[in-house]
Amino acid sequence: MKHKEDSDKKISRRSAWVGVLMLILAAAMLEATTLIQFLFAQRALDEEASSRAETQLDATRNKIMDMIDQAESAVRNSEWIAQWTLTCLDSSERVCSRIVETNPVIYGSTIALIPGYSRERPLFSPYVYRSQADTLTTVSLATTEYDYPNQEWFVKPLELNQGYWSEPYVDTGGGEMLMTTYSIPIVDYTGKKAAVLTGDISLDWLSDLVSNINIYPNANTLMLSRTGRFMVSRNKEMLKGLSIEEVMAGIRDQEDFKKVEKGMNSGESGHQRITFRDIVGHVYYAPVERTGWSMCIIIPDDDIYGANRRTKNMVQIMQLLGLILLIAIVRSLIRSQNKNRTLNERKKRMESELHIASDIQMAMIPKAYPAFPERKDLDLYAAIYPAKEVGGDLYDFFIRDEKLYFCVGDVSGKGVPAALIMAVTRSAFRTVAAHVSSPSSILSNLNNGLAEMNDTDMFVTFFCGVLDLVNGNLSYSNAGHNPPMILTDAIRILESEPNLPLGVMKDMEFTEQQVRLNYDDALFLYTDGLTEAENINHEQFGLERVKAALHGHKSSEEHLKNIQKKVKSFVGDAPQSDDLTMMFIHFLGKPEPQVEKCQLIIHNKVEEIAQLAEFIDQIAEKKNLDLSLSTALNLALEEAVANVVLYAYPKDSDGIVEIGALLGEDNIEISITDSGTPFDPTAMPDADITLSAEDRKIGGLGIHLVRNIMDSVKYERIDGKNILTMTKKISE
Amino acid sequence: MEVKITKNNNVLNAEFIGRLDTPASLEIAKDIELVKKEASGTIVLDCAELSYISSSGLRLFLSIRKAAAEKGGKVIVKSISNDIRSVFMMTGFLNLFEIQ
Repeated sequence: MKHKEDSDKKISRRSAWVGVLMLILAAAMLEATTLIQFLFAQRALDEEASSRAETQLDATRNKIMDMIDQAESAVRNSEWIAQWTLTCLDSSERVCSRIVETNPVIYGSTIALIPGYSRERPLFSPYVYRSQADTLTTVSLATTEYDYPNQEWFVKPLELNQGYWSEPYVDTGGGEMLMTTYSIPIVDYTGKKAAVLTGDISLDWLSDLVSNINIYPNANTLMLSRTGRFMVSRNKEMLKGLSIEEVMAGIRDQEDFKKVEKGMNSGESGHQRITFRDIVGHVYYAPVERTGWSMCIIIPDDDIYGANRRTKNMVQIMQLLGLILLIAIVRSLIRSQNKNRTLNERKKRMESELHIASDIQMAMIPKAYPAFPERKDLDLYAAIYPAKEVGGDLYDFFIRDEKLYFCVGDVSGKGVPAALIMAVTRSAFRTVAAHVSSPSSILSNLNNGLAEMNDTDMFVTFFCGVLDLVNGNLSYSNAGHNPPMILTDAIRILESEPNLPLGVMKDMEFTEQQVRLNYDDALFLYTDGLTEAENINHEQFGLERVKAALHGHKSSEEHLKNIQKKVKSFVGDAPQSDDLTMMFIHFLGKPEPQVEKCQLIIHNKVEEIAQLAEFIDQIAEKKNLDLSLSTALNLALEEAVANVVLYAYPKDSDGIVEIGALLGEDNIEISITDSGTPFDPTAMPDADITLSAEDRKIGGLGIHLVRNIMDSVKYERIDGKNILTMTKKISE
Repeated sequence: MEVKITKNNNVLNAEFIGRLDTPASLEIAKDIELVKKEASGTIVLDCAELSYISSSGLRLFLSIRKAAAEKGGKVIVKSISNDIRSVFMMTGFLNLFEIQ
């Protein structure tokens, strides 16, 4: 059993582990699914962000190019007139005004002569610009402070000999305004470089344009000038006018940004992942042709993936919570199931074991009553009223050679072990008492057997008696058991020497006593479950109550049931703590002689009379009759039967004759029964055997023989049947 | 049941072998008729091998005895067992026959 519990525990522990593993597996699969989903979503989001950024970059660049184109064409279209103004410098102001006037994108314009081209005007640069009130104002740039010949917009186109977009710059003249200038070299009709024609454009629109890019809430769009200066930024507080180096410090992974920088500076388009300050994000960049500018859109990861990540996190949290809940539920289910199962199993097993033990116990003891229905000299009743748990009470009885062997015992302890010892003891009693006739020898035998096999320190109190049913002599031997009551004229305790209980020590001698039972004497045996039955107040039933309960003339069964009832009402609601076993032996004197029955049925046919000889032979053999007696019986029977066969039934009709014999100890009773015509052979006058042969009648001899052979002959007519009963005394 | 009938010097000898019960008596009724025809002479009923006799058998014996009385013959019952003797006694047959 212990071993079985351990293995049960192991199994349940193992199944719990399997459960946990399954849950972990399920969790892992769930998580993997979520992650895969998440990664696919990320990729999709990546692609979407990239496409949105690129689209936006394209669109923005197109708009810029449109503006640039307008500005460039405005300037270029005036190239020829600027060429012309070289011959008439005074008109140059008008030309510039016209450029500004006719081209809304142009903020200001100037024609600046190469120093020394005109002898009269070594420095000449009238600048016409749109003032705040939208009127044209002209200022001369030929000042020493400004020093236009050294300005980028003047130097570069001459140097490159082509149109040139200047670095954006902040114009402080007409309010803070970011400007850029497109300038082209002007040659005179001789082909000599003479001047530079410019058109300024305000980059305010650029700022507006960039500000309106809101593909993601926190995305930033930057324009980078040729030299890497930030021109505009959607996020105004950021970076305006700072060099890229200045913001480099904020870039975590400089290598990443260097790639962007390099790419942007060299007019390439591309994409890079960077970490800027605390923001991780993507940078998409593309060049703005001709201007040398570069444009980039910085999108923080959070904008792209935020929703997805938050969804993922939420899903994960929900999954985790779900799993925890699931684990908790499964765990509690497994626990309660295990608990229930082990409890139920244990309970069931115990119950069934107890049940089996109890069944075995009950099957072993004789409990068919009346115990000896054929005996009139003995009324015996015994019963075990078991406590809730199987105990070790036992009783047994049987008759061998006209002697009643009986015993009552109580195994110390309770439960299955006690029941087993009880079973062993009872079968040992049967075995030993089958050939040992003295109670003390029976006890010695039982004791040796039990002491030898008993290593559980259990012992058995045992009372054993042998009652000679012929003469009422009772031999008994008591092994530590409650002495029985003897019921004669009075009720008293049967004196018995208390020996040690069985199973205590090997090779014990047991004393034996005798008492003679007379007709109507009785013996009452019990176990301590009777006298020690306790009520709620811990009072015991006691001997006096037993004695009182035994008064009165009742059958054995009534006696026991009466006592059991009294004990029950005494004990009340207190639980029965011990088995209660009782045996009542009522001795009713000398037994009647044994009677054996024989029967023969023949038809009313003369031939069948021959069967009577065999019938009588059987009886003769059973009763050990001598040949003369059996011959005489045969003759008497034949005469009586022949009378019936020949005369009871009408001629040629079928009828039967029943012949029964009761073989008593000292007599044989034979009865002949037929359903024929009423006829009393005993009423016939006896044959006169003194007559001479001449006077003798042929009939009447049969019944004469019957009367002479048998000791008594009786005729009865019962239920339409003739019954002739005749008896013959026999002596052994 | 068997009856052996032999005749020697005017003496008819009938030897009964077996049990002479009711059915047997019916069987040997013809033999008895043969015997009775010789009732004027001496009839010996040899019962050495007769183990049993019932009243029907006794009646056959009585009918032989009656026939002999009628025809002036003589019936001798020979070698009866004690059991049959007691039956004869009970029925008064010992007085009816000459027992040898």
